[in-house]
Amino acid sequence: MRLNSLKSTGSLGAMLTAGALSLAAGTASAETMLTVWSWDPNFNGDSMQRAMARYQAEHPDVSLVVADFGKDALEQKLQSQLASGSNQGLPDIVLIEDYAAQRFLLTFPQAFEPVGEHVDLSGMAPYKVALATVDGTAYSMPFDSGVTGVFYHRADLEAAGFAQDDLVGITWDRFIEIGQSVEAVTGKDFLVQPFNRTDLLRLMLQSAGTWYTTPDGAVSLGADPRFRKVVEEYIKVMTSGIVQDAAGWTEYVGAFTSHDVSGVATGAWITAAIKANADQAGEWAVAPIPRIDGIEGAVHASNVGGSSWYVMAEGPNTEVALDFLNDVWAGDSDFYADILADKGAVGSLLAARHTAAYDAPDPFFADQKIWADFADWLGVVPEVNFGVFTFEAEAAFLAYVPDVIRGDAALDDALETYERRLTQAIR
Amino acid sequence: MRSFRTLATYGFLGVMAFVSVFPFAWMIIGATNTSADIIKGRSWPGSALAENLSTLVTTNNVPEILYNSFKVAIIGTALTLLVASMAGYGFEVFKSRFKDRVFGGLLLLMSIPFAALMVPLFVLTGKIGLINTHIGVILPSVAALSLLFIMFYFRQATIAFPSELRDAARVDGLKEWQIFAFIYMPVMKSTYAAATIIVFMAQWNSYLWPLIVLQTNDKKTITLAISSLGTQQLPDYGALMVATILATLPTLLIFFVLQRQFVQGMLGAVK
Repeated sequence: MRLNSLKSTGSLGAMLTAGALSLAAGTASAETMLTVWSWDPNFNGDSMQRAMARYQAEHPDVSLVVADFGKDALEQKLQSQLASGSNQGLPDIVLIEDYAAQRFLLTFPQAFEPVGEHVDLSGMAPYKVALATVDGTAYSMPFDSGVTGVFYHRADLEAAGFAQDDLVGITWDRFIEIGQSVEAVTGKDFLVQPFNRTDLLRLMLQSAGTWYTTPDGAVSLGADPRFRKVVEEYIKVMTSGIVQDAAGWTEYVGAFTSHDVSGVATGAWITAAIKANADQAGEWAVAPIPRIDGIEGAVHASNVGGSSWYVMAEGPNTEVALDFLNDVWAGDSDFYADILADKGAVGSLLAARHTAAYDAPDPFFADQKIWADFADWLGVVPEVNFGVFTFEAEAAFLAYVPDVIRGDAALDDALETYERRLTQAIR
Repeated sequence: MRSFRTLATYGFLGVMAFVSVFPFAWMIIGATNTSADIIKGRSWPGSALAENLSTLVTTNNVPEILYNSFKVAIIGTALTLLVASMAGYGFEVFKSRFKDRVFGGLLLLMSIPFAALMVPLFVLTGKIGLINTHIGVILPSVAALSLLFIMFYFRQATIAFPSELRDAARVDGLKEWQIFAFIYMPVMKSTYAAATIIVFMAQWNSYLWPLIVLQTNDKKTITLAISSLGTQQLPDYGALMVATILATLPTLLIFFVLQRQFVQGMLGAVK
């Protein structure tokens, strides 16, 4: 803010001149400052700044100020402000995690600008556009993708006599066999999962094109047979002895970065945490995720996490915000190459796949072209409607289904209680 | 038997002391380690303190954040003490048929959770143009804290304020505000000290309301800064621990400086 006021003082002369000129020409041009709320000044906030730097080449009169809050804090803040009905202090653009998209869009239908009506989203990953679409109208500019992979220490796989290709194109059943063989040799579990999170289940659900609730808001368990099949497969994986329990997020990250387990299956954003351990350069590899056998349409690609930009309908500079998103975010491959190379951000523009940054081998992963792989998988992630009740569903799931994994309950009973609890929550 | 009891007492106190001190130790050790080491569970001091500090200072405007926090906490504390003590004094000293009912009504307000007030309060703050200002953070918190406990605490303490003092001051020709400022306030020093600790901590640590009202980075307080440090894509836990130490120090200092008066204040202000 202070910087900006300095800047505006500095450009006072220029503005006066411009003012005089525009008076003469009969058109007004004033400096526009876009405001953005995001949650990580090093990642999404910084990507926004880089996008603006590109936009300013053609539009020097537009500037940007980013305010960052914690992710949950931002959601709470936005929710309170929208509930108050006051547009005072609302930003132009706000970042929302994809799992919360439908909740915001359906709770505050007038609050967000239908981005898809102004911006060409045809080049973005279809599943990213679909998750923020309501009644055929797209409301978001997709940002980072949580396209998934299995990250693992290569040496562990090789110690058990397998090659990297042995993890490609397999089913979860085969993955369990390989994981058990690796554990027999190395003594290490292949995967890790925090006891209070459901990342692995999210990954499996979306790879099969299903979610906790159906697009029309019903509980999937009764309405979509794929859901139960995925849960059965999930429990098979969790009870196979290849998944280590972690007490929380830091222990989870600690497990694979200190090589207590062989790897992790999650979104591409975890790469930054893995690469933070420079001493492990060259030891890692990435495989596509296994496919769930017996479900038609289940693929080797999925998504965990990710977020998108939303334009506030009552923000101060809606038109400029839309033009900015259209100009840079909707089609500038070089921009996406830039944020990938410097920030490790896998964007959602499919065309960026053809840039040099995406095609470069990564020495940390023994020269595997991991970004090209992720970009390929990005295009085939199944579209899923996350609905409004993802967090309620996961709370219910975590309350009952872990008993089945521990052997304390039968699956049918646990799922029945889960369904009852979730149905109550949804009402 | 007696030695067993002593042993048990010390054992119990030892465990409690460990439980209380451990988070502080962990925080200080964490501040000296790199983020990667903290994730791996390293629990002895490292050599990354300077690095963590420089990360924190380069990614955040630390002086501005601390200035904002001190501004909100100090002005908020002073106003809360003034309002709450005046109210406590008034409720105890003046005679009125309705005062107990009014006081009861105010206590009843304590039972309304803040979450229920947040949205209307935001609308109100917006209407008077105080969104994204520190005054907008301070004023509702003064009202909330005064009503919650502090006014009640001052009223209770005022029971012990000798009415003879007030009568004598009156005979000497002092007006009511002079009695309050020159007699009551000095006499109730330890009550003020105890209330200062409680109110300063609450103001310093307040999170939810500043989160809703403050909209730009240059207005942020330290609690908001810490919250955004912790949820980044790749959180730097070392820098986070340094920030946590910075956030803990002022309340620790205030407590140590006012500790004696705090205990006195809790036991009863006037002897």
